[in-house]
Amino acid sequence: MLKTIITREFFNNILNLRFMIGLVLCVIITIACIMILVHDYRQELADYNLRVNLQDEFLDNYATFGRLFWLIPRQKPPERFRPLIIGISGDENVESFDNNPLPILFPPLDFLFIVTIIMSLLALLFSYDAVTGERQSGTLRLVIANSISRTKILLGKFIGGTASLLIPFILSLLVGALYVSINPSIQWDGAAWAEFLLLTLASITFITLFFLLGLMISTFSRYSATSILNCLFLWVLLILVIPNICPYISAQLYRIPSTKVIGMQEKVFKYNALKVMGQLREEIGKRFKSNYGKPFYELESMEFGGLLGECSPANLKAAQQRAEADPEFKTMINAFREELGEATLPIWRSIKENEDKLWEDLKKKAALQTKLAKNLACISPFANFAYVARDLTGTGLRSLEYFEHTNGEYESRFWKYGEKKMEDAREKNPAFEEESSFLDLSDRPRFMFKEESLRGKLNAVLPYWGILVLFNVVFFVAAFAGFMVYDVR
Amino acid sequence: MLKSIIRKEILNNLLSYKFSIIIILSTILILVSIFVMYRDYCLALDNYESIQSKSDYPHPIAIIRPTPLAIFAKGLEDNICRSHEGDDGEIKVSSKPQSLNNIFKLFTTPDLLYIIKVILSLCAMLFAFDIICGEKEIGTLRQSLSNSLKRPILIIGKWIGGFISFILPFFIAVLLGTIFVTLSPVVDINVQNWEKLGLFLLSSVLYLAIFFSLGLLISCLTHQSSSSLVISLFVWTIFVFLIPNLGNILARQLVRIPTVQQLELKRELNRSWLMIERNRADDSQHREIYNRFRAENDKHTEDYRNRLNRLAKVSQNITRFSPAAAFTFLATDIAGTGMTEERGLKSAVVLYFDILGDWDLEKWSQPGFSYQRFSYQSCSIKEVLYQGGLGNCLILILFNILFFAGAHVAFLRYDVR
Repeated sequence: MLKTIITREFFNNILNLRFMIGLVLCVIITIACIMILVHDYRQELADYNLRVNLQDEFLDNYATFGRLFWLIPRQKPPERFRPLIIGISGDENVESFDNNPLPILFPPLDFLFIVTIIMSLLALLFSYDAVTGERQSGTLRLVIANSISRTKILLGKFIGGTASLLIPFILSLLVGALYVSINPSIQWDGAAWAEFLLLTLASITFITLFFLLGLMISTFSRYSATSILNCLFLWVLLILVIPNICPYISAQLYRIPSTKVIGMQEKVFKYNALKVMGQLREEIGKRFKSNYGKPFYELESMEFGGLLGECSPANLKAAQQRAEADPEFKTMINAFREELGEATLPIWRSIKENEDKLWEDLKKKAALQTKLAKNLACISPFANFAYVARDLTGTGLRSLEYFEHTNGEYESRFWKYGEKKMEDAREKNPAFEEESSFLDLSDRPRFMFKEESLRGKLNAVLPYWGILVLFNVVFFVAAFAGFMVYDVR
Repeated sequence: MLKSIIRKEILNNLLSYKFSIIIILSTILILVSIFVMYRDYCLALDNYESIQSKSDYPHPIAIIRPTPLAIFAKGLEDNICRSHEGDDGEIKVSSKPQSLNNIFKLFTTPDLLYIIKVILSLCAMLFAFDIICGEKEIGTLRQSLSNSLKRPILIIGKWIGGFISFILPFFIAVLLGTIFVTLSPVVDINVQNWEKLGLFLLSSVLYLAIFFSLGLLISCLTHQSSSSLVISLFVWTIFVFLIPNLGNILARQLVRIPTVQQLELKRELNRSWLMIERNRADDSQHREIYNRFRAENDKHTEDYRNRLNRLAKVSQNITRFSPAAAFTFLATDIAGTGMTEERGLKSAVVLYFDILGDWDLEKWSQPGFSYQRFSYQSCSIKEVLYQGGLGNCLILILFNILFFAGAHVAFLRYDVR
């Protein structure tokens, strides 16, 4: 009997107008979306390759130790799931005066949009009248009059309805997968296809959740018109309102200073420290003037040992020649350098310590605020699904953190390599200058970004996936309870 | 007769379950949104004031005060309210207020603009989807038309009555929210802002009327409420989400533009080149090296900005096929958080640092160096309308006329049996 109900429900649905509309909408949007995103992905890949080449070329021709920090290659390649899901793009993480403002006004359209907006809406449209519609047309009474349990009816409706609902989704997904697999610019390995499969399963969990929500509301309503209004009311709250409001609520509950303010605090501290440093230099200078007299005035005229410790190559050469000719002058320079260094070192240290402390504090606070927002938003299935889909495909917050982590490791490796290279260069040439001498980095370690392992991703998404399953169970149990006491007249 | 139809329609709606649900939803959402965005505005204001109060910070900074209208339409406010500093021909911007909390990047800003654009437009369609076909199903339409009642009067009456009953709760909720905001001592709304708020609400009414008319048109084209509802939701998805979002991506295919990452990398490499060459060369060559650096930077910047402007134009033209996009452009421009304002501010910032001269950070840091503070006058309503606002306004009116005329024609040929 269950089979009969499933078959009846399935055919009833696929012969309906909403099925046709859902099918057309899903297939057209998915194909259009994937085609455009694949093209976009190709452009981003080309842009990434160009950036890597530019940086390599510069390092091969202009690398100096003084600029090494700014020249560490840290380019993030486009995510491999970019043809399906638009992640938090590299552009958004670059604070530039010339940022493109359009994506802020219109968030991009991708696979996540298809599942969270179109499929969830379609799921509600498939189930809002599953019980009320039959009650209003009188067929429910006839069915119940036979020797069939209510459990079987509800189960049949759920299975038949879900099966018909998933046809447009699976079909459009297959078309999308086919397009991705035949496209030469996209090369997915086994892990990527496994992630795609898991993404499909997570999407199905999300879609059935909304089907069950519609079914539940239908068992608690008498009329289809009321049921659809309640469904849309909840849909608006769960999809459009709660997830978007939660980050703002968390920002109010747990306040953090803005990066603007921290940056300003850092700059003001540095500015004041440099002022103190200038005063110290003047004091030392005064002492040297009284001790050494004319030779020190001569040294000062070369702008030697200025606040930034820099002087022009011509002056540097003149100072060196003068020091070689006059041992007393050399002693004076060395003594001045040493004293200045000893006096300013604690100030440089305090600047660095202050910088590190300010930003570390802010990062910790921001991480707490993000965690709070993430947990608050978990009451919406939309947020849970977004976390699962993004983290599984490496397009979410976790992938950003993972990139930062791998990038940090690479940076420290590169830094050690740079220091070693500079020591070698100094050994070969004692006149080697940090700021201007070319540093050969041809055998430098290259940055190769590797995706996080599937196991790691899966461990991270399982709690959120679990919440989605829990929503399914709760809605099914509620629908079951509602239908058990439903008045079919 | 028209009056009776309007009255009947209003009373019918007021007593319906649909009305209760929508009034609860819209009131809660609008009030929550205004409260949340008000708190967000207070945070932005705190940031602005703490930066302005750093009197011992010597470098010139270009920053503007957050506009209170961002509470209603945030748009590009985060971009607009960044602080700008000039450094060797480049403009450095500080991060956005909440930029370290990446979760903001995953979700949309829940401001009044979003509520109107997405949620209330859906409510408008829900109000109108069964106006004609619903009455046909229960048989009252046949009875109404069996009297000496002309079809145009009936449909006009239904439109006016239905729309008034829909728009009233919206106005009450916005009014309550606005009172709450204006009572706060933090928010300073001047006359121009009041005018802008009025225009924003007017454009919102125009926008919502489009979806109401569209719902009515679909109702006149279908014979069953369930079909009308499905088609309405389908069309709503296309107009509100699909065209604006897909259009934006499509524009990027038409206008090729390098990523900001590429632009910033080129600048960074160029800066490194400057530093290295400066250290290698004599003082006499510094000016020449610096000029080469500036010329190279200016070339990249000009090329990028030209492309970005073209992209913005193409994107605006494509997405305007959707009333949601036209409304977004219009509303954000009116609120002073849109593309027009952003463009204007960028030009003003570039001009400011150009006038300060030579882009020399060390010179600006000298104790005796005094400079004029950055000042910026946000676009007036006239400027907004002149720079594309009027076009967007006309698009909204055109959509209204088109959908209502369509509904009118369809109803004249409607089989009421």
